[in-house]
Amino acid sequence: MISLIKSIVRHRTALVGLILLSLVVAVAIAAPMIVPYPEDAQIFHIERRLLPPSSEALFGTDRMGGDIFSRVILGARTTLLITATVVLSGVLIGVPIGLVAGYYNNGVSLMLGGGVEILLAVPQIILAIAITQSLGPSIGSVILALSVTYWPFWARIVFTETRSMCHETFVESAIALGASAWRVIFLHILPNIASSIVVRTTTAIGTTAFASATLGFLGLGPPPPSPEWGRMIAESRDYLPDAWWYALAPGLALLLTVLGCTLFGDGLRDILDPKTRRGG
Amino acid sequence: MNVASMVANRLVWFMPTVLGLLAVVFVLARIVPTDPAVLAVGENATTEQVQEARERLAVDRPLPEQFVEYLRQVAQGDLGTSFYTQQPIVDDLVERLPATLELTIIGVLAAGLIGVPLGVVSGLSRNSWLDHLLRLASVLFIGVAPFWIAMQLQLLFSMRLGWLPLSGRIDDFAPETVTGFLTIDALIAGDLPNFLSALRHIVLPTLTLALPGAAVIMRFTRTSVIEAVASPSVAYQTAMGLPRRVIVWKYVLRLALNSTVTQLGLVFGISLTGAVVIEAVFEWPGLGTYAVRSILYSDYNAVMGVTLCVGILFALSNLLVDLLQMAVDPRGAP
Amino acid sequence: MATSRREILKFGLLGLVLLAGNSDDASAQSRTRFVFANSSAFDSLDPHTVFDQGRAAVRFNLYDGLLRFVDNPPKLIPWLAESYTVSDDGKTYTFRLRADATFHDGTPVTSADVAYSIERILALGKGPASFYLDLIKPGSTQTPDPHTVVFNLATPSAIFLTTVPNILVVNSALVRSKEKDGDWGAGWLARNEAGTGSYVLRRYEPAVGWSGQRFVKHFAGWAGQPIDQIEFRTVQETNTRVLGLMRGDFDGADGLTYEQIQRLRQSPNVQVLEAESMRVFLLALNNSKPLMNDVHFRRALAYAFDYDGFIKNIMKDSVTRNPGPNPVTIWGTPPGLKGYSFDLAKAREELAQVKQPLRRITINALAGYSESEQAAVLFQSSLRQIGIEADIDVTPWAVVASRFAKAETQADVTPVWRSTFYVDPNNWVGEGFGTRYHGTRTMSYYSNPVFDQLLDEALLTSDQERRRELYEKMSQIVSDDAAGIFIYNTRWFGPYSTRVSGIRFSPGTNGNDIRWATMTR
Repeated sequence: MISLIKSIVRHRTALVGLILLSLVVAVAIAAPMIVPYPEDAQIFHIERRLLPPSSEALFGTDRMGGDIFSRVILGARTTLLITATVVLSGVLIGVPIGLVAGYYNNGVSLMLGGGVEILLAVPQIILAIAITQSLGPSIGSVILALSVTYWPFWARIVFTETRSMCHETFVESAIALGASAWRVIFLHILPNIASSIVVRTTTAIGTTAFASATLGFLGLGPPPPSPEWGRMIAESRDYLPDAWWYALAPGLALLLTVLGCTLFGDGLRDILDPKTRRGG
Repeated sequence: MNVASMVANRLVWFMPTVLGLLAVVFVLARIVPTDPAVLAVGENATTEQVQEARERLAVDRPLPEQFVEYLRQVAQGDLGTSFYTQQPIVDDLVERLPATLELTIIGVLAAGLIGVPLGVVSGLSRNSWLDHLLRLASVLFIGVAPFWIAMQLQLLFSMRLGWLPLSGRIDDFAPETVTGFLTIDALIAGDLPNFLSALRHIVLPTLTLALPGAAVIMRFTRTSVIEAVASPSVAYQTAMGLPRRVIVWKYVLRLALNSTVTQLGLVFGISLTGAVVIEAVFEWPGLGTYAVRSILYSDYNAVMGVTLCVGILFALSNLLVDLLQMAVDPRGAP
Repeated sequence: MATSRREILKFGLLGLVLLAGNSDDASAQSRTRFVFANSSAFDSLDPHTVFDQGRAAVRFNLYDGLLRFVDNPPKLIPWLAESYTVSDDGKTYTFRLRADATFHDGTPVTSADVAYSIERILALGKGPASFYLDLIKPGSTQTPDPHTVVFNLATPSAIFLTTVPNILVVNSALVRSKEKDGDWGAGWLARNEAGTGSYVLRRYEPAVGWSGQRFVKHFAGWAGQPIDQIEFRTVQETNTRVLGLMRGDFDGADGLTYEQIQRLRQSPNVQVLEAESMRVFLLALNNSKPLMNDVHFRRALAYAFDYDGFIKNIMKDSVTRNPGPNPVTIWGTPPGLKGYSFDLAKAREELAQVKQPLRRITINALAGYSESEQAAVLFQSSLRQIGIEADIDVTPWAVVASRFAKAETQADVTPVWRSTFYVDPNNWVGEGFGTRYHGTRTMSYYSNPVFDQLLDEALLTSDQERRRELYEKMSQIVSDDAAGIFIYNTRWFGPYSTRVSGIRFSPGTNGNDIRWATMTR
């Protein structure tokens, strides 16, 4: 563990990514304490609407007179809540299915593997939009829609890794020594593919943040006036080009989040998985 | 296993994928908490129309039978009628498919044209300032939300500078349909103003679509080039004293590009989903805007149809990737 | 190959022409073309199902009715009919058709076409059908001779005449030949046209829009220098409409916010026409739901909307307050009707008298209309201050419209506009709050026997003074009962190219009746 932290600190990409990611998380958690106008998620001052950035409103105000700076920071909570839940359920659903499908070689695993392949052939975003719409716009339906549509990514990677792991000598010998399937899976295979799962999960945080913002942008996320980055960007379209500041902060916030995940994910892959190290 | 049987194997696997896709789409429409017969004929339909639809869709029979009935209809090319456009869904899809294909194909080509050269440059000048700059750019383009960058491009090129149109596919009515690709159709019709108009309209959407793809391709190409440079054969040639230029062109690029080809297919698949939101920003009259509109209007027949259509395209592009991979490197095929 | 060489030659010549600065051939040079950027999509051209104002251009340019509304305040002029008579019992309307009117394919217009059109409206049951479903029995319309059509109403109706411009006449022979499985030609007419209108459909692409060529032989004749070709393009992206107008790509546009109108005023290419319209923006309340059926609760809601703040800050004072259900520009509102003001203290007082337990309410805003969304958000924010929590749901108009069709599905609160479908207070207060319109044109599911009695009389009597009195009473009741929350009457802003003149605005057509306009080349 300590050596891992050391390598992260030494690895510039990973470090930058980790710092960005921690920043977003820290800001999201501390949001109500640090924003200048915490009530701006709900209460409005329409006499101050569409003002350009100033010392009072760092990123300007929106169409309801809300402080965009405050709303972007409060929006980080929305994004984080959605992302964390979706990624967690993706791991909880996808990893066991991938392990079982990969370890066994029978009808059940064939069906699971085939099912995963089929689900991956369905355009995720359309499926997610359709599910969100039929459930009605709320944070809950976004979480459900993305959890249902994104877990196959984990399942596939775990499936592939498990399959190749089954041909490793130490796994074959464990099986030959009569270890139970559960023992082999959890004591021999899982620890060895954990690094792939961690790397995949890190990048998935970024992808999920993207997907949830996309739903918000299309008008399917949490309803207004919830501070949600995608919706804020969509709202700004009616007020361009005059209100150029409107979409700036939410877009940059999303960029920093995804950037953090990509960089940290890249770095982790280099550190944890020297086999596939791709030129530093 | 020889290549022919592997190809055959892939094609055989394609059918269950489509069947599974149909099942997902079918379930999707059935989880909606409304009577599918009412959905099929619209809320203002008469009781007789609903009853007729109930029989036609086999709603009263068990689910598997309903599914078989659905399959039979799809096999006959009948995806139902959209309540919104009053047209058969198949006609709607045929009308909109070329717009999406034009966007994605040009987008993927652009991604390749941008990504490959930059990847090669970056890989050959590894760890130089240029390499760092390009890698930073690639991470940025992967990290930026397509709809946001699209709006920033619109703000700059359309609203501020006025160089390019903000949205839409063409200024005037489209030239006579031959391929459905407006740029090509305008050329065939010898219609220069329409050609230029179509071209000007497609720049921003394809650019938005191409940026993340280009970044992915660049990163991949860079890695391949680095691996190729380090490979024994190239090391051998270098030791033999061949000039660097010859080595790069004859060996490194060949090795690197072989694997990049397969990436193009992958990027095509990603772009297809990316097109959904990009079409919404640019009001591009393709499958993406159709999908979003149908979903927002609860036009379930259309939702089923468009999901099926995009899913099949997606599966086809996966098939293409696999075949390309085999063509490029038969040994490495799964 | 000869053709390909010719193609190349053509291509080269085209380039030369372009270089010389002529973008079109000589014959097109002398013709005028009017391009309108329409914010709603023309997904269907069927004049008997498309009924929203956003797509009015189809109805008034490609088709004609027996009568037509023009100007502001609107007046009804003879159109396909040259005259009409009403029987003494007010139930029989006899229209005499013009003898010289023809459809675009040259077929003369006969009474059979009118009869077919009303049957088709009734059978399809969409759009204008709700005016007639109770009033005209299928098969009851008579055609004693080719130029006389007789509508036999089930009851006398004071408003029938003013709805007649909505009975757009289709070419019955043509549509019949396109019928499929008894669909009244719905599939065909969604994409084609069979009218007599001032313009003939030339091209239609759902994703792009449609264009029409002037129908030179139109029965109303042509005066001055009418526009030769009109194009209505679907341009949903607001900024594209604004920029296109400023650049001169478009000659007109709709669906713009006041901020965008202000921007357009600064462009030398654009003129902004204005008129006081008849389009009330209101918070439609579903009076049938629990809690919403309590008058004190509704009054609390009515005191909780910041009318002045909304009009001043969001509408930038471009509209005037409209205290009652009818637009202030039409008769039927009692003089001095005060309406409600923003007063949270009074709202709390009313709320204190509510017996039922409080619950969360739903506000259903219109997607794509930022004013509706902003009204929803503003309302939600002030409701919270009096202890009422609200959820906002944003859906497209088509979904809102289908929710309005049932008392169970209409949201508690819907910020929405009530446009002019015919020029009579019944269009607003009558239809909006009468029990007889439940499930068709109601916006409230409000039910009050006293109100209904007044409405019944107002629909039957033809005494104008009596009708004024009745509609004023109805407006007062609706206001006292806070059956709806009325905010403003729309001011129409028509941004047009400075090359266009003679736009004839009328609240029903929104200036989309292009036959009267002229354009310089």
